[in-house]
Amino acid sequence: MISDHIRKTFTILFVLGFFAYLFGPLIIMSLTAFNSSAFPRVTPWECFSVEWFQFLGKDAKLIEGLQNSIFIGIGVVVLAVPLGLSGALMLTQVKERVRPWYYTVTISPILVPGVVLGISTLLFWDRVGTMFGASRESVFYNGFFLTIIGQATFISAYTMLVFISRLQRFDRVQEEAALDLGATHVQTFRKILLPFLKPAIASAAVLAFLASFENYNTTVFTIVSESTLTTFLAAKVRHGINPSISALAVVIVALTLFGAALHEVFKRRELAAEKESARIAKGEQVTRKSKNRFITDPAVILIFLVTVAGLGTVYFAGTMGLDECKAAVKAEKQRVVQERVKKRQQKSMFQDAGRQALTPVPEGAGARSRPAPGTSNFQGLFSPDNLEGQAGTKETEQEQEKTRAAGTEQFQGIFAPQNLEEQSGASGEQQ
Amino acid sequence: MGRYWQEFFLRNGTALALYLLISVACWMLLMIILPQIFMLDFSFRTNVPPPLWGTEAHGYTLEHYQYMVYGSAQSTDSYNFVDLSVFGRTILTAIFVTLIDVALCYPVAYYLAHVASGGWARLMVMALIVPFWVNELLRAFAFKIMFGSTGIINNFLVAIGILDQPFDFIRNGVALYSGLSYAYILLMIFPIYNAVESLDKNQIEAARDLGCPWWRIHWRVVIPHAKPGITSGCTMVFMLTAGALAAPQILGGPSSLWFTQIIYQAFNQAGNWARGSAYAIILLSTSIIFVLCMMKIFKVKLGEIAR
Repeated sequence: MISDHIRKTFTILFVLGFFAYLFGPLIIMSLTAFNSSAFPRVTPWECFSVEWFQFLGKDAKLIEGLQNSIFIGIGVVVLAVPLGLSGALMLTQVKERVRPWYYTVTISPILVPGVVLGISTLLFWDRVGTMFGASRESVFYNGFFLTIIGQATFISAYTMLVFISRLQRFDRVQEEAALDLGATHVQTFRKILLPFLKPAIASAAVLAFLASFENYNTTVFTIVSESTLTTFLAAKVRHGINPSISALAVVIVALTLFGAALHEVFKRRELAAEKESARIAKGEQVTRKSKNRFITDPAVILIFLVTVAGLGTVYFAGTMGLDECKAAVKAEKQRVVQERVKKRQQKSMFQDAGRQALTPVPEGAGARSRPAPGTSNFQGLFSPDNLEGQAGTKETEQEQEKTRAAGTEQFQGIFAPQNLEEQSGASGEQQ
Repeated sequence: MGRYWQEFFLRNGTALALYLLISVACWMLLMIILPQIFMLDFSFRTNVPPPLWGTEAHGYTLEHYQYMVYGSAQSTDSYNFVDLSVFGRTILTAIFVTLIDVALCYPVAYYLAHVASGGWARLMVMALIVPFWVNELLRAFAFKIMFGSTGIINNFLVAIGILDQPFDFIRNGVALYSGLSYAYILLMIFPIYNAVESLDKNQIEAARDLGCPWWRIHWRVVIPHAKPGITSGCTMVFMLTAGALAAPQILGGPSSLWFTQIIYQAFNQAGNWARGSAYAIILLSTSIIFVLCMMKIFKVKLGEIAR
């Protein structure tokens, strides 16, 4: 079956390609954070450095945004977990006829665009504030309050889904037994239901915090004059990119991975605990060994070790011999630029001489069409391609600034490497 | 009705019943329903400065919706081509991105669920979660780095000689489309994976034993079974793409706008909140219509979509 083989190979290639598409961008972005180049890129690789990370620590606005994000995240957890829990508990108790409607309304914030949620929250509390005649400094116009409310609107729906799936496995008989034995409702809730829901509460809290931490669409409208990590990041990315954003990205990716791993650990522990209680119910003996503490959980230890080892290596490698490497790269760059300048000068002199010798300009053809002596030095400098390249890419500008410092003012940008390539293309066409 | 509440309080005890009622009521009314109603109301009001809100001057009008269709009174065009074309392009692109994501995800989901086996498959599914946790802005930023004029893609293409000059992926929208497809791809793959995985392998075997070619197995057995998953994935991806703000802001070229960006401008630059909320209502109703259409066409329930 040859066609079967081809199909199999094709499928595997497709899957590999899919994973490359999924991880490639993230890996490349992470790598750019360690390149000492002033523009985030992998090629050409200059020096392995962690200076962009050190850069981050000095950014006061970033630290402020981070603090605000954490504060808002905690606020959202405090609000969304109880709301989601009550939503899930209520779902089983509303009348059969109302249930689909109830479910639709509570779940709808997940499907509503985040932008719309942000705007409606902002408007609603603004109007409420006006109705009460509250001052502009009051809570209704406060970015933190609005953001926590706005985010909790849809994050509560997430947490509700977590609780619903946990509650589906809950045996109501336990509750009834407790009530029969004389426990009050509050006691039953605290002693039976809450312990059963504990793992779900933990994972819902992690989920809520992460969702809040990385939310942008809603936050950008509700945050008003404050800033969070995401709004700070968005402003930074839009104003021009440099590797310190990549460094920030690496930090955030590492943190979110840490959070995701923690989430996974919680989930596994929940499953393990369930299996164990099932075994106890069957009357099997439970060995002490299977009762792992959280701290000694192999996964937790692994996460910890990988983090410490990774950070240590990166810091050590990134600060050692950085200056020497940078100096070497700078010298190499200057050498390349100078070489190009030399070549260019030689080439243009040769071209001028050749053109004047080969194409004698007939008298009376008009001086306008004849290239004035020396103009060819600037060949392509005024060509539209060249201008576009300059306007379109920051990169070229940066390169130009460097070369401008090294070279003379007169030849603006003519020595930028890209420029040279374009020119040689252009002069090739001319000849 | 009174008996229902009595029972409710009896079943839960007073304290718990009060907690449930108050928090659910707060959530549903103060956070979900009322804000949307207020936004709807606000979108029909004239645009006056905040101190005049709620006064006589803040009356009802249709001008913001008319603006969306006909443009301002001063303009010479008979329709508001700018906003309408941005809106149309946003919706079309979102549909296009959704289709790409289905095409990419279905084979992978099928592979993970039925072809790959054991530890590898589990590891791959775990690995899928990783990019899902990475911030939306950073995912867009990663694409900006890759597609830049000296990004790795351009450098590679120039190095192997396919291009002789860097290609401006950002201006041409390539970066935006691939970034958007990437942004929400995991909301496509997980529903499809879950749906495909629940299919009994014996059904595929039976179809194969009866001489069914592979493409017909998919068409007649796997896809019908995965339909709720596909619908759910399509709905989520479409909604999120149409409502995306980060990716277009970062990856959009200088001349291309996304509908959410127009809303953002109305709020943050023009200071015209009324028009912003009118446009938000338009976006919201388009989304709702899309979901309803999906539910009608593929005959699934809302509960199956939002999971």
